[in-house]
Amino acid sequence: MNFDLDDEQRDLAAAARDFLTDAASPADSRAALDDGAPVRPGRTALVESGFATITVPEAAGGGGGSVLDLAVVAEQAGRVLAGPSLVTFARAAVLLAGDHERLAALADGSLVVAVVDGSGPVIDAAGADRFLVLRGDDIVLAGGRATVRDAIDPTRGLGDVTLADADAEVVAADARLRWEHAERVGRVVLAAEGLGAASRALEIGVEYAQQRLAFGRAIGSYQAVKHALVDVYVQVEQLRSLVWWAAWAADQAPDELPLAAAAVKAASATTLEQAAETLVQVHGGIGFTWEHDAHLFWRRAKVDRFLLGDDVDAYDEVARLAVAQVSA
Amino acid sequence: MDFDDTPDEAAWRSRVRSFLEEHRDELGRRSDQRGFDDQAARRHQAVLYDGGLVGVTWPTDAGGQGGTPMQQAIVDQELARADVAGLINLIGIGMCGPTVIYHGSEDQKSRYLRRLLRAEDVWCQLFSEPASGSDLAALRTKAVRTEDGSWRISGQKVWTTLAHLADYGILLTRTDPDVAKHRGLTMFVVDMKAPGVTVRPLRQMSGGADFNEVFFDDVVVPDSERLGEVGDGWRVALTTLMSERLSLGGGGTEIGASATSVAEHVAAHLDGLPEGRRALVRQQLGRSYVGALANRYTGYRLLSKLSKGELPGPEASAGKLAGTQVARDLADLAVRVLGDDAAYAATADGSRSWQDLQAVLPGMAIAGGTNEVLRNIIGERVLGLPAEPRADKGITFKESLASARA
Repeated sequence: MNFDLDDEQRDLAAAARDFLTDAASPADSRAALDDGAPVRPGRTALVESGFATITVPEAAGGGGGSVLDLAVVAEQAGRVLAGPSLVTFARAAVLLAGDHERLAALADGSLVVAVVDGSGPVIDAAGADRFLVLRGDDIVLAGGRATVRDAIDPTRGLGDVTLADADAEVVAADARLRWEHAERVGRVVLAAEGLGAASRALEIGVEYAQQRLAFGRAIGSYQAVKHALVDVYVQVEQLRSLVWWAAWAADQAPDELPLAAAAVKAASATTLEQAAETLVQVHGGIGFTWEHDAHLFWRRAKVDRFLLGDDVDAYDEVARLAVAQVSA
Repeated sequence: MDFDDTPDEAAWRSRVRSFLEEHRDELGRRSDQRGFDDQAARRHQAVLYDGGLVGVTWPTDAGGQGGTPMQQAIVDQELARADVAGLINLIGIGMCGPTVIYHGSEDQKSRYLRRLLRAEDVWCQLFSEPASGSDLAALRTKAVRTEDGSWRISGQKVWTTLAHLADYGILLTRTDPDVAKHRGLTMFVVDMKAPGVTVRPLRQMSGGADFNEVFFDDVVVPDSERLGEVGDGWRVALTTLMSERLSLGGGGTEIGASATSVAEHVAAHLDGLPEGRRALVRQQLGRSYVGALANRYTGYRLLSKLSKGELPGPEASAGKLAGTQVARDLADLAVRVLGDDAAYAATADGSRSWQDLQAVLPGMAIAGGTNEVLRNIIGERVLGLPAEPRADKGITFKESLASARA
C-alpha cells in the first residue's frame, strides 16, 4: 500500500506554493470586494505559469499530468483564495479531449472559456467569452455574454450567462458520459481547493490561539478553543484522504469515481464551512472585521458549498450510490 | 500512489489467508451471537498462534514472529475478512506483553510470554481507579515494601476488562506519596488468583459485563515480579500506552458495524418509508457514509506509513476520535430505520443486534482515551497549542490530595 504523494508531487506542491503565494493572497480577495479589482493571479498569469493546464496533453502545450497532480496544485491555490478556479481548466481539458486545436488554445490562453451547468451561477463567467455547455447529449462551445453579479465571494467570478446560439459549435457529439466525467473531475478539483482553504484557515486560527492571551494565558490552552481547532484538524485530514482517493480514482479507477467525487464534494463543503466558522469564532471581535482575512475564507466557504451541486445533493448522491451498491 | 500490496506483503497475505481457510472451523466467528465462551476463545487463539499469526511484531525470542506492523495489519484485515472471532488476549498482546518485553526480567519473559501468546494465560491491565481515569498518575493503590523485600498491595482498580477471566495482570501502584505524582509509581505483574485479590464484574449500560472492579487487600507480590525500577512506573506505563496506540493503529478497519452493512440494512428499510422521510434518511446515511469513507482512506494513509517502516505518531489519535463518532452515527441510523421497533430492545422477530450495538458504542469513545483526552493530545502534540495549566504541578502526590480536599 502506497497511499501517499510521491516526491515529484511534493516538489510540484512546493513550486505551486511559491508561485501562488507571490501571485495571490486573501488581500486580493478583499480588494476585489472593495473596488472590483480583478481576481488574482488571474487567467493570464495562471495559464502562463503552466499550472492551470497541467491536465492538458503535452502535445497541445499542456503539462501532460494527472488529475492528482492538478489536485496537488489546487490545494495550494485554495490556500491563497486564488482565482480563477482550476476547476474551470480541469473541466475544459476533459470536455475538449482529443480536440488538439482547442486544447492548444486553452493552454496558450487564447480560448477564454467557462463551463455552463443548467441555470445556476457559472464559475469564472467573469471575463469568459466562450462557453462549454451540454446540449442534449452533445458538448457544445458557444459564444455568449456573462452578467457578473455582486457576489458573496468575489474570487469565483460567478455570473449568469446568456448563450449566443448563432455561433455554437459541437465539440463532441453524443458525449454525455464525458460531460459527467468532467463534472466529477471538477468536483475533485473544487474539493482540493477547499482542502487548501480549510487547512490555511486552520493554520491562521492555531497561530492566533497560540498568541492571544486571556485571563493570563494563551486562549489555545483552553479546551473549548483547543478542541474546536482539533475538530477542524481532524476534518481537514479526513478531507485530504478523500481528495487523494478521488483524484486517484479520476486517473486510475473510473468505477470508483462517482462515489468518490460525490463524497469529496460533500466533505469539502462541510469541512471548509466548519473551518471558516471556527476561524471567525476563535478570533472573537477581530475575526468579524472587514480588515481581517477570516471573512474572506468564510465567503469562499459560503459560496463553494453551492458549486457543482450543493452539499445536500452530494450527500444524497452518496447515499443513493451506497444503497445501489449493496442492492446490486 | 497505489493501494496494492508489495510482493512481500502479497506473499504474507496469501499465507495468512490460506491458513485461515484451512483452519476455518477451529477459529470461531466474530458474527456469532451466542455469547462469549472463554475456553473456546483460548483454543481459537492457540490455533492462530501455532500458525504464526499471533504476536506477529513481537521479537522471536519472546515467542513472536519478529515481523513488521504492516504484517500485523494484514493479519488483522484477513481475520476481519474471514469473520474470525476476536483474540481473547488482545490486551495482553497489545499492552501487557510488550511491557514485560521491555521491562521484565529474563525469568519473567520465559515464564509469561509464550503462554500469553497461546492464551494459556489470559492477561488484564490494572491501571484505572475510581479516582484516576484520564488522570492516571493520580492513582492511589498502595504498594509497601515488607521486611523480606516483597510488596504488600492494597487498593482498588476499576474498568478492568477481562479481570474475571484473567490469570495475570500488570498493576500500576503508588510506592512513594512524598514525591510528584508521576514519580512515585511502580509497576508489577500480579497473579490474579493470589489471596486478597477480589474481582467483581461491573454491569455496563449495554447490559453486558466485560469489565470489572478489582480489590487488593494486602496482596503479597514478590519483588521479582516488579517491572522496571521502583519509582519508574510512569515510564513503564508509557510503554504500555504507546504499545496500545500501535496495536489499535486503526489502519482502515472499522469500529462497530461496517458502513456497507448499515447501507444494506437501510436499503432493506428505505422503500417502506414515506418519501419525505426517505430523503432525510439518505442525508443521514450520506453523512455517515462519507465519514466512514474518510476514516477508511485516512487509515490507508497510516498503513502506507507502516508499509514504509514508519511508526504512527500522535496524529493517529484522530482515527479513533473520528471512527467512534461515525460508528455511533451509523448505529443510531440503523436503529432509527427500524421504525416502530426502534424503541424496543429487540425487533418483533427477536433480532437485537442494532439495539445492542447502539448501547455498546458510547463506551468505545471512552475506553483507551476519552474524546477529550485525544483532543488534548492532538491539540498539544500535533497543532502545538499550549497545555492547560495544572493544579498538581510542583507538588507531591500527598500535597495534591490535600489541596484537592481544600
